[in-house]
Amino acid sequence: MNPRSGIAMQLIDVSKHFGGISAANHVNLSLPYGKVTGLVGPNGAGKTTMFNIMTGHIRPDEGSVLHKGVELLTMSPRAIALRGVARSFQALRLFSHMTVLENVLTVMERSPWSFLSGGSEKRLRLEKAEEILSRVGLAGLRNELAVDISYGEQKFLSLARILAMEADVWLLDEPASGLDLSSYDRFFGILRERVEAGVAICLIEHNLDIVRGISDEIAFLDRGTVLDQGEPERILNDAKLTAIYFGEAV
Amino acid sequence: MVNYFANLVTVTGISMILAISLNLLIGYAGIFSMAHAAFYGVGAYVAALLALHYTAELTLAVPLAMVTCAAASLLISLPALRVRGEYFVAASLGLQVIAFTVFEQWHSVTGGLSGLIGIPVAELFGYSLASPLAFMGVTIALVALVALAVICLLRTAFGRDLRAIRDDETAAAAAGKNVAVIKSIAVAISSALCAVAGVLYAFNIAFVNPESFTLNLSVLVMAMVIIGGAGTITGPIIGAALIQCLPAALSWLPLPPQNIGYLQQILYGLAMVLLMIYRPAGLMGKARSKG
Repeated sequence: MNPRSGIAMQLIDVSKHFGGISAANHVNLSLPYGKVTGLVGPNGAGKTTMFNIMTGHIRPDEGSVLHKGVELLTMSPRAIALRGVARSFQALRLFSHMTVLENVLTVMERSPWSFLSGGSEKRLRLEKAEEILSRVGLAGLRNELAVDISYGEQKFLSLARILAMEADVWLLDEPASGLDLSSYDRFFGILRERVEAGVAICLIEHNLDIVRGISDEIAFLDRGTVLDQGEPERILNDAKLTAIYFGEAV
Repeated sequence: MVNYFANLVTVTGISMILAISLNLLIGYAGIFSMAHAAFYGVGAYVAALLALHYTAELTLAVPLAMVTCAAASLLISLPALRVRGEYFVAASLGLQVIAFTVFEQWHSVTGGLSGLIGIPVAELFGYSLASPLAFMGVTIALVALVALAVICLLRTAFGRDLRAIRDDETAAAAAGKNVAVIKSIAVAISSALCAVAGVLYAFNIAFVNPESFTLNLSVLVMAMVIIGGAGTITGPIIGAALIQCLPAALSWLPLPPQNIGYLQQILYGLAMVLLMIYRPAGLMGKARSKG
């Protein structure tokens, strides 16, 4: 993948209300290529809703969601995924009763009739899947069921599935939770590598040290509103935002 | 005696095809359909009508019934497939009721409750299958073919897509899978395979009427799949064999014939309770881990 520049994904004046609750309130957010954008905010700030809107799982009441300048609002989650927007879920949502290798292969097979395209393509896909599993350290577990591997390994399998999608926008919902220190370094080493290759990453994370370490930019959300966006140090040292984050009276 | 066993094997083989085809939906796609008997019925009526009006040639009846069933399933299941999980169970229940009513009321085609009688003996490449042994042989061959077709299908990208949808529909869509199309194709393939059982049934008893395609049968086939082990290749085969052969085995016990039915029901119930406790994934499914 050649390093790219510019804006990969953009939310313009996006609003979404569930009854009287505002999950997104005139949100403007840009995800640049080759950058990690951290989404930070207290519980219920609307972070996961933002991912659901970007991936077509929730339709906003108003506003616009652009990927490479193309409007996504009328597209299905499938169409958005095929355009190159990949996401991981807080609850992982692996294909639990399939093997580790099958989890990756399935994501690579864009059509149910992929097997008709011939043996050489099938072989290439298999080689690529093996390569991805080696990269995330799961090669030795390729024939294990996803449900049988440890939580940390499941996190890496979730990452392997995203790698297999060859997407240019990655939306990661709490990717570091439950990882030990060495796994954390390995996990974010892979993310950094892909960012340098031009991928735009947006991640939701509650561990502020992790957000500070990985993010190039942070957007702070509260009750569906982006209160501030900018350099990690500035956002995370803002006393007012910190107070909101920790639920203190402002 | 030979004919009795040949017929028992044939009836068991037909049940195996029903269970294998339903397992494709329940075990591999996570679609709990209560309308399997309806598609079985469509297959049987197509074969019966073809045999009564044109030819009893199996090489024609089987593909025609398969295509008709697949088309019918697509037509009527597409709206139902828009809903998930337990909602689809309810929707498929509705389909089953509608199909039964059509079989019962469309007198000019199905013969209504009186059904279609006098279905000629099946032929294979022009040879008559009047002998129960010959028909049993064809049934066994078709069971093997249906099982092989499912095994091959599951090894493809389509098979993986099915299992991905079963495990997590939302994640499958987020990975770029066209969930609605894949589920529709699965229902069509399952119905087409189910039609094979319908054809064999029609030729085996030479008579079809709506009473053979009721909700009770759909439940019984589901029990075969669950008892044997949904999501396994051998599970539905074992489940069908057990459920079909149990009444035959009980009939050898020195019991008054009027009590055998009750004993059978008690054994089915007991087996289901014990299975759910000790092997919830079915006889051929993964055993529950200890501790």
